[in-house]
Amino acid sequence: MNSKLNRFLMSPWAFPLLFAMATAAVIAGTHMYIVDGHGAFNEIFVTQLMDKGLKGGDYAGAAGFAAGFLVARLLEGPLVGVLDLGGALMTGLGIGIPAVMLSAGIRWPLESFPVSLLLGAVIGGVIGALIILVRKLMPEGMAASGTDVMMGAGNAMGQWLGPIIILSAIQYSIPAGLGSFVGAAAFYYWKRPIAGGAILGAMILGALFPVIAK
Amino acid sequence: MIVMIVIKSLIIGAILGAAVAAGAARMFHAPEVQSMGAFRTLGELNACKGDPITHFSFGLGFFFNAAASVAGAGALTQDVVHRIIPNWAAGLLLIKNKNVEETLYNPAAMLKAGALVGAVVVTFLNTIASVIPKSAATVASKVLGPASNLLINPVMPIIFWLAALDAGRTTGIWATMLGGAAHMIMGNAVPGLVLGILIGKSVEDKGYNKATITMIAIVIILFALIAYFRGFYKTLVAAF
Repeated sequence: MNSKLNRFLMSPWAFPLLFAMATAAVIAGTHMYIVDGHGAFNEIFVTQLMDKGLKGGDYAGAAGFAAGFLVARLLEGPLVGVLDLGGALMTGLGIGIPAVMLSAGIRWPLESFPVSLLLGAVIGGVIGALIILVRKLMPEGMAASGTDVMMGAGNAMGQWLGPIIILSAIQYSIPAGLGSFVGAAAFYYWKRPIAGGAILGAMILGALFPVIAK
Repeated sequence: MIVMIVIKSLIIGAILGAAVAAGAARMFHAPEVQSMGAFRTLGELNACKGDPITHFSFGLGFFFNAAASVAGAGALTQDVVHRIIPNWAAGLLLIKNKNVEETLYNPAAMLKAGALVGAVVVTFLNTIASVIPKSAATVASKVLGPASNLLINPVMPIIFWLAALDAGRTTGIWATMLGGAAHMIMGNAVPGLVLGILIGKSVEDKGYNKATITMIAIVIILFALIAYFRGFYKTLVAAF
């Protein structure tokens, strides 16, 4: 049963479905932001572009910023096999499409929760299908080469996270720094990846002895 | 009113979590399988090496940050999708089963865990995020923010670059050319390096035949288009 679901989820056409679900949720999140004042899946500076439109009626900033991201990410996604959700989905579709609609005066789909979900599902499904079509048009057998090189690089990345967290914790404050490398050493003793110990140590000591703003 | 917010958050979180976690599991099978997520998410998931406690604490740092952001400005931050859902879904599965092939790399398992994590996280953030102490949120963002920025640039580009250079002359040249162009146009070399490795390795295996030349042409056209949409030509003209 699990393997049947898994086989479907690994197939190319599961991608438009997954992307439709994600887009539906993110646009419904934007709906919550418009109606309830919180819930948008974006950084503060992106939602501020949206706020500018909601308060003053000027959506050009949000629409232009988001459209640039969306197109660039949609072109890159099928090529490398990873569609960037930050640029394509959360900024591009989550902010860009609502901003374009609001600037055209079309407000009602975004004010209704079911309609915003449905709208997101349709948009996401269409774009997801386009991406799979682009991939089908690409030359056969290209993707198979080079995977081993990238897997090796991905694994090497793992070793960098822990030390980098420690360096950045020390730069933030002495207590956080001390917590991070003591935590990392403890995790190493317990044969666990040191990144976890570094984060926990930094957060515990850093929160107990906060940096006093001068 | 609060009941509506809880219902909406549960639905949004469950759908989003399911899709994002399954998409993240597909990343481990890219580029053969089209996935969704981000290179940084892939790198960070790899960095936690399938250890549940590390996955949880990595997500927790960003969770504090997201809570501070939603309490202050109503923005949940993109980290909900990039970090919290994938890492907590992975952590949840890995408690029971340490085999990543059956958990983190398995879209069906991640779909279910992601739906649960997403529903809980989004609902929490949209309702009671303000109970998180501010000092914990500050430390988390001040420590993890710079660390993940460093990881994305320059650590990740360098690791991919060195891997490409180790993989032979053709791969090294293609990755260097495309990586440099990508860093200039897109702001990060990783997509270019990945394409360079794909092209270089294909050329080494099969030579410059119709398939590889088509691929190279597509990549060049796409780079030109991406440069246009990101406004690179204006910057280029201004520089000379």
